[in-house]
Amino acid sequence: MSDFQPTTDPGLLLMISLAAGPKHGHAMLLDVERFAGVRLGPGTLYGALSRLEASGQVEPLPAEGRRRPYRLTGAGKAALEQRLGNLQRAVATGIARVSA
Amino acid sequence: MTRLITRLYPRAWRERYGAELSDLIDETGMTPRVAIDVARDAAREWTSQARLGLAGGGSMVIGPAWRHPQLWAAIAFIVLAPTALFVLLSILAYQLGAAWLVDLMDPVTRWMQSVRIVDLILVASPGIALLIAAAPLLRLEVHKRESGREAVLGVRLKAANVIIGLLALLIGTLLVGHILAESVLQVGG
Repeated sequence: MSDFQPTTDPGLLLMISLAAGPKHGHAMLLDVERFAGVRLGPGTLYGALSRLEASGQVEPLPAEGRRRPYRLTGAGKAALEQRLGNLQRAVATGIARVSA
Repeated sequence: MTRLITRLYPRAWRERYGAELSDLIDETGMTPRVAIDVARDAAREWTSQARLGLAGGGSMVIGPAWRHPQLWAAIAFIVLAPTALFVLLSILAYQLGAAWLVDLMDPVTRWMQSVRIVDLILVASPGIALLIAAAPLLRLEVHKRESGREAVLGVRLKAANVIIGLLALLIGTLLVGHILAESVLQVGG
């Protein structure tokens, strides 16, 4: 795995993970590790998740046994698109400058 | 161990996410790194809760003390009891002249003067007992006003805590007064 990590912001990583569909905590943790190479700790994951829920960007679904899945809300999807757009512009600018 | 570490979080957070977090820790395994991660996030939640309270509209209490005032009063009493007994016996022996007590108190007093830590504990315990008794009675509220933030210290009355708090204050005052009087006499003499 490359040393490069696109971002270590746990909130953003969780939103990207949930953009693919609802997931419970352990599935999010594995997914984030797979696509970003970042191993989130359980405390970090639930800390970020609780803040995202408080801000209305994710919402819990009914529990499946002992696990509770979460999904991105409409507001969360809009916020994610905006953040990724900002990142994309920053990356494009960076690439253009180092290539000049 | 997992259930224990989730107790580091504020109660409201723990009630909402504690079980899910415990399950995730069970799945990932408890390692020192996980323990540090959870402790760090719990500290962040406490900080966040305190900041919300200070930002306005919130109130802060010492949770366990607020929920169990009688238990805290009992702990305060246990902390205060040895000093209270010592002060009571000293007054009876040396102030009211109960001669039969002087023989009992003299060796105790000499021993305490030779072991400084006992002396220190004796003097400090009324202050500690006062804090323990008073903690369940206090609530800090922060309100947003047009003129700025306003902090209001609320006090509720619980008989056992008030009585033990006042007793601790009285004994502490007597001890400090006694120490000051002895110091003045020594300087004067």
